[in-house]
Amino acid sequence: MMRFRLEKRPEPSKLMLYGTPVAAVVLTMILGCLLFSAIGYNGLRAVQEIFFTPLTNPYKWQDLGIKAAPLIIIGTGLSVAYRANVWNIGAEGQYIIGALAATSIALLTWGMSGWWILPLMAIAGMLGGMAYASIPAFLKTRLNVNEILTSLMLTYASVQLIYYLIRGPWKDPMGIGFPQSRLFSEAARLPNIIPGTIVHLGVPIAVIVALIAWFVMSKTVFGYRMRVVGAAPHAARYGGFSENKTIWLAMLVSGGLAGLAGMLEVAGPFQRMVPGFPTNYGFTAIIVAFLGRLNPLGVIVAGVVLAITFVGGQVAQTTIGLPDEATGIFQAMMLFLLLAGDILVRYRIRRISPEASAGAA
Amino acid sequence: MDLTIAILVTVVGASTPILIAALGELVVERSGVLNLGVEGMMLLGAIAGFVVQFHTGNHYLALLCGAAAGMAASLIFGFLTLSLSANQTATGLALTIFGTGFSALAGASYSARPVALMSPIFPDLATHPVLRVLFGYSFPAYFALFMVFAIWFFLKKTRAGLILRAVGENDLSAHSIGYSVIQVRYFAVMFGGAMAGVAGACFPLTLTPQWAEGMTAGRGWIAVALVVFASWRPFRLLGGAYLFGLVMTMELYAKAGGGPLSAIPSELWAALPYIATIAVLVLISLRRDASTNAPACLGKPFMPSN
Repeated sequence: MMRFRLEKRPEPSKLMLYGTPVAAVVLTMILGCLLFSAIGYNGLRAVQEIFFTPLTNPYKWQDLGIKAAPLIIIGTGLSVAYRANVWNIGAEGQYIIGALAATSIALLTWGMSGWWILPLMAIAGMLGGMAYASIPAFLKTRLNVNEILTSLMLTYASVQLIYYLIRGPWKDPMGIGFPQSRLFSEAARLPNIIPGTIVHLGVPIAVIVALIAWFVMSKTVFGYRMRVVGAAPHAARYGGFSENKTIWLAMLVSGGLAGLAGMLEVAGPFQRMVPGFPTNYGFTAIIVAFLGRLNPLGVIVAGVVLAITFVGGQVAQTTIGLPDEATGIFQAMMLFLLLAGDILVRYRIRRISPEASAGAA
Repeated sequence: MDLTIAILVTVVGASTPILIAALGELVVERSGVLNLGVEGMMLLGAIAGFVVQFHTGNHYLALLCGAAAGMAASLIFGFLTLSLSANQTATGLALTIFGTGFSALAGASYSARPVALMSPIFPDLATHPVLRVLFGYSFPAYFALFMVFAIWFFLKKTRAGLILRAVGENDLSAHSIGYSVIQVRYFAVMFGGAMAGVAGACFPLTLTPQWAEGMTAGRGWIAVALVVFASWRPFRLLGGAYLFGLVMTMELYAKAGGGPLSAIPSELWAALPYIATIAVLVLISLRRDASTNAPACLGKPFMPSN
């Protein structure tokens, strides 16, 4: 019998680091095909519609852009935080609070016009997301309360805040009883950048945000600090990098970007606050951050890949009747396979010949 | 008096799934593994339990299949984190995302179809105006109480429990005196998965008699928080779970209307269990021995030098 053994690599493998995400996506297609065939769908067709139709059909490209934008913005922030070993998994909540803060500006300035309204909404969105992220940051640095649990609990609470506001104080007077806010005025809606499409200003902003983050993380002292604290906390302490300060920075960056994404989403596709606003972008962005290897450039690619599965999921729903939920399964499988492949970055597989293993025993 | 009894009965019902899931996670964490996939395993248990109950009408078989579904899911987690040393935090999150998606897919054709709730195991006493506080529950409530004691006994008084704690406190020492760290952790993770599955199955079988997407509504995460709150001790878990049951029951009564409770917006009531979780985590962190009870190897992959 052939036996295998794991052997630690002297250096993490660069090839495996960037090869495993690609392998994870390919394996997801193969396993997804088998899984959906097994439960009675046309598996091959499902994979084709989910992963390839959004790319081959030019009409779908605009959808890809607007789905990828929030994922890239939030994913970039999360990749900075996870690099520093700060586990903010409440980006969905910070995204929601950012959108609510932006909505409050849009409602306060309702009926007004002026170029300053959108920038003000963007600032409010970022501040909202930062403020919400500062709760877990404060509790973590002051009282050592686990940030995973607090940031997640705050997400559930933020959803209730939406319901409260749009059923009560923000309820649309013209909404014939629907729980939703007013439609934003023209000045509070994101402009389309390509006439005749739904592509809004958020799409180029997402790419710019990721590029800036890439530059900051790889070329500046700030980025170096975040990476060192995450990779070697003890060395970082000797180097004079305060751990608490890093936690604050990580939380504020990831919360602020999630808030910005929330503002762009509410001012772009939604143009009003509705009960269906939370669409789990904040959770999907966790997969984006990991698939992008916590590198903002990788996050751009990963954001597009996840956007493909969203758009493709909708295609498959209409063409072959695949339930919408299938998308989530493909996304989770991708993350599972990626995590499983991580071992190949640090270890290599060596075959042990039967004689050698007999000798060792 | 009647109202007090009614509230107490509801509290026990609402806290039972949280207690069961938290007990499972407690054992997992005592072995040194942090599985954040409880919510996902609960949802898988919920849909498995619902489907089996819907087609067979057998509640006990439904609970068992819920356990099996949770355990199967926990094996994915176990394989990735124990055999492949993958990051436990990320893998747990992936498991929750997977469980949410898979249960929604499997349950898509079952929404809004009613099933029968489990009936009390002492039908005669369950209608008694006072005694129903003690005897008015279906099987899971008693199972949860039994497991509190059983897990306490297992961890404190048995050899296997001692080994499990040793693996969680110092994996390298346990390894060097000949215990298989990975094997012990696999058993713990599978046990935690089965408990989460049963806990999830309790939702359609004992609380709301139907399947609804994401019906566990974050209770799995509250269970994870409760383990911290209880400083990894089974009996404290019991108190914590009933406390949360009380918060959730207050929400139900506030929504039903009447009394001073309804002056507070219903959305605030709905948010209260989550805010209470944060409050409880803060309170527990203020205690001096807060983290001293945490298993020393919690969340760290086992890597003997090779």
